[in-house]
Amino acid sequence: MLKGIKGLIVSMLTVFKHLFKNSVTLEYPEKKIILSNNFRGMPIVEGCIKCGTCIKVCPSGAIKIESDNFNINMEKCIFCGNCAYYCPKNCIKMSDNYELASSDKNDLSLNFDISKKGEE
Amino acid sequence: MNYLYFLYIEFLTKHNVPQIIGDITFYCIPITIIFIVLLLVVLALVLAERKLLGWFTQRKGPNRVGFWGILQTLADALKLLCKENITPSSADRFLFNLAPILMFTPALVVLGLIPYSSEFMFVNFQTNVLIYIIFAGFPILSILIGGWASNNKYSLFGGMRNVSQVLAYELPIAFSLLGVITLASSMNLGKITLAQSTQYGVLGWFWMPCIIGFIVMFISILAELNRCPFDLPEAESELICGYNTEYSGMRFALFYLGEYSLLFANALFLSVLFLGGYLSPFGKYISTVFFGGQIGEILLYFEQVFWLILKSFFIIFVVIWIRAVFPRMASFDLLKFSWAFLLPISILNLLLMVLLKYFMGGVYA
Repeated sequence: MLKGIKGLIVSMLTVFKHLFKNSVTLEYPEKKIILSNNFRGMPIVEGCIKCGTCIKVCPSGAIKIESDNFNINMEKCIFCGNCAYYCPKNCIKMSDNYELASSDKNDLSLNFDISKKGEE
Repeated sequence: MNYLYFLYIEFLTKHNVPQIIGDITFYCIPITIIFIVLLLVVLALVLAERKLLGWFTQRKGPNRVGFWGILQTLADALKLLCKENITPSSADRFLFNLAPILMFTPALVVLGLIPYSSEFMFVNFQTNVLIYIIFAGFPILSILIGGWASNNKYSLFGGMRNVSQVLAYELPIAFSLLGVITLASSMNLGKITLAQSTQYGVLGWFWMPCIIGFIVMFISILAELNRCPFDLPEAESELICGYNTEYSGMRFALFYLGEYSLLFANALFLSVLFLGGYLSPFGKYISTVFFGGQIGEILLYFEQVFWLILKSFFIIFVVIWIRAVFPRMASFDLLKFSWAFLLPISILNLLLMVLLKYFMGGVYA
């Protein structure tokens, strides 16, 4: 029984210490989490050479390339980062932007202008 | 409360108001004060409980409504007031509506019995303690009525569990109370408070000689209030919400209000019995040291109220602390703990108190 009482007291003191610790809650819209370097957010395209590798490696088929338009369907994108990894010119980058919720479906289709070719 | 009474009558006669009106209205003032303070305290308690539980688990607690989340309970109350009152079609309509009212009214009666200071004693019978215990047992009846009238198996389970739990825990309360009554040789809460003003100061309060009784009574009161770890009547994982599963809107708010005001009342009761009631922990009242004359005398009463409320808040803090630590007990363990452990210990405590009174009776005159 003494052991039980000791256990009770130890558990109560352990919880009491939490009063003086900082809370782990993040007040989200005001304060944002610090992201790691490898974070994969919304992809950004710049200087595409239209090789089509990204279309082949995309597991969910989210990428479409028309004549001057690089289109990513964010409804399908799974943020795997394959396109960025296999791009021969490193022109796709995964940005830090993760706040992609929208009330309009058209916002989820990203269009990038690729009429300018990459240097070379 | 003679002093304040004469002050009030004197004030009225100065303004040419007959004494009979003063006699009648004088008793309305304390009731109004109790009611307003009770509502404010309950609002503060709900917020304090949520905040403290948050801090104990390293969260922030409510922090969006108003500065520092202060208006959170007000917003919750407003939401409950605006909600529809639903009575299930198969429920017993009369009893279903009666239960929340019966839950809240005893709390008001019980708060009137407590000596807030040497002058603020609203209802001063010779057997205050007995009346307190009787009225503090009333909410159990209302919980049973509410559980039965809802015609819902979860509600009925909750109500029945509560009755068995309270039956088991009333006896330890009674026996540890008898210990205190023996020490103070009185059943009046005011006299019990005065009996604690000995030459030993804080150590002379009844928690020291009667520490077993204090702990037993604290545990039993936790069980009677359905607080963690004895909150079986409202066990969410088994019974949804227990006896108030079918209640909504204002009726649910009344249950809530009754629960918290009883928590406050019982904390006051415990601090009167064991923690010296309105006595100052320093032996001397601060207001008499700083203010002289009539102002000091009036401030003294409010200081006594302050000490009592401070002690009761300390007890409430411990109750919330316990809620943050311990998981819910199993139903059978709960009853066994009371009948096989707390009851014998409280009877032993009574015997010890009788011996103490016999050999050292002079200390508690």
